[in-house]
Amino acid sequence: MICPMESHNPEMLVAYAAGELDVEAASALERHLAECPACASLATEQATVWKALDAWEAPPVSPDFDRRLYRRIANEVHLSWWERIVRPFRPVALRQLIPVTATAGLLLMAGLVLRHQGMVAPPQARAETVHAEQVESTLDDLELLRQFAPASSAESVHPNAM
Amino acid sequence: MGVVAAALDYDAELMLRVKDGDGASFGLLLEKHRAAVIHFVYRLVQEQPVAEELAQEVFLRVYRSRSSYEPTAKFTTWLFRIATHLALNWLRDERHERGQERLDDGSPDLPARQVLDRRPSVEQELLYEVKVQEIRQAIATLPEKQRAAVLMHKYEEMEYTQIAKVLGCSESAVKSLLFRAYTTLRARLAHLGRI
Repeated sequence: MICPMESHNPEMLVAYAAGELDVEAASALERHLAECPACASLATEQATVWKALDAWEAPPVSPDFDRRLYRRIANEVHLSWWERIVRPFRPVALRQLIPVTATAGLLLMAGLVLRHQGMVAPPQARAETVHAEQVESTLDDLELLRQFAPASSAESVHPNAM
Repeated sequence: MGVVAAALDYDAELMLRVKDGDGASFGLLLEKHRAAVIHFVYRLVQEQPVAEELAQEVFLRVYRSRSSYEPTAKFTTWLFRIATHLALNWLRDERHERGQERLDDGSPDLPARQVLDRRPSVEQELLYEVKVQEIRQAIATLPEKQRAAVLMHKYEEMEYTQIAKVLGCSESAVKSLLFRAYTTLRARLAHLGRI
């Protein structure tokens, strides 16, 4: 027998582990496995995995599965002609509606944020104006003090001159 | 092919009766394939409530299609094609929305095992859970088509030709898909033989 690995037929080893080969093909492969360590190793590993997969049992089916199904079927029977027409398009419509709604929501949020920023901006500008006025007022005060300063300093410097 | 399929496939015959208004035949089809469909979808999506919901949709679609049903292929091929389509679509939507964090959420839908009958020790129970968790994760890492192919091959015991028809590819493509899938699983799970 030609080696399954060399003859580009490694699927044969999977089929062997699954018990899918007929008796003749299986015994020919077994004779080959006795002589070919590479194929023997692969066949052993495949058999191990095949057996291990048996451990994964599916959970039992819910007892009310049929009842729920028949209720849905009964609802189908009572559907109006309009619902029957619309039904095939509903999943598509829903799928398209979700991104459209999300985009609209984002745009709305962005609009609100921008509007909010626009409302907040004037107080910042006002604060700058107030600050400038304060500086101006301070400068005026300093100027006033300077005007009075010589007189008062003269008074203080020459108190006895009077 | 249509006539041949109808002659060979008892399920297709039942479905033709459903087409003629026989509700009891639908009940027989449901009884026969309910567990297989739910288990297959469960192993694909790995969440039991979602699996049951999707399986309901599968049988609902079968029922809806009764009037246009033509037995051009084996009934189970059609059934599993619907199931695969719905489950893979759900996985794509789910991956898009949440990524794969559910795989590691630590709350696997482990089956309610017959623990009272066998009375395994706490250690055995833990080992079992670790083993199943590793299998679930290894299967979940496979690309979609490989995953579906392995589940149909291993758990539903489907032939290569039928898997090919469900997945819409050639038989040799299925063999190649399976070999690649099992290569990945061997790399990840070969050590389980020692557990």
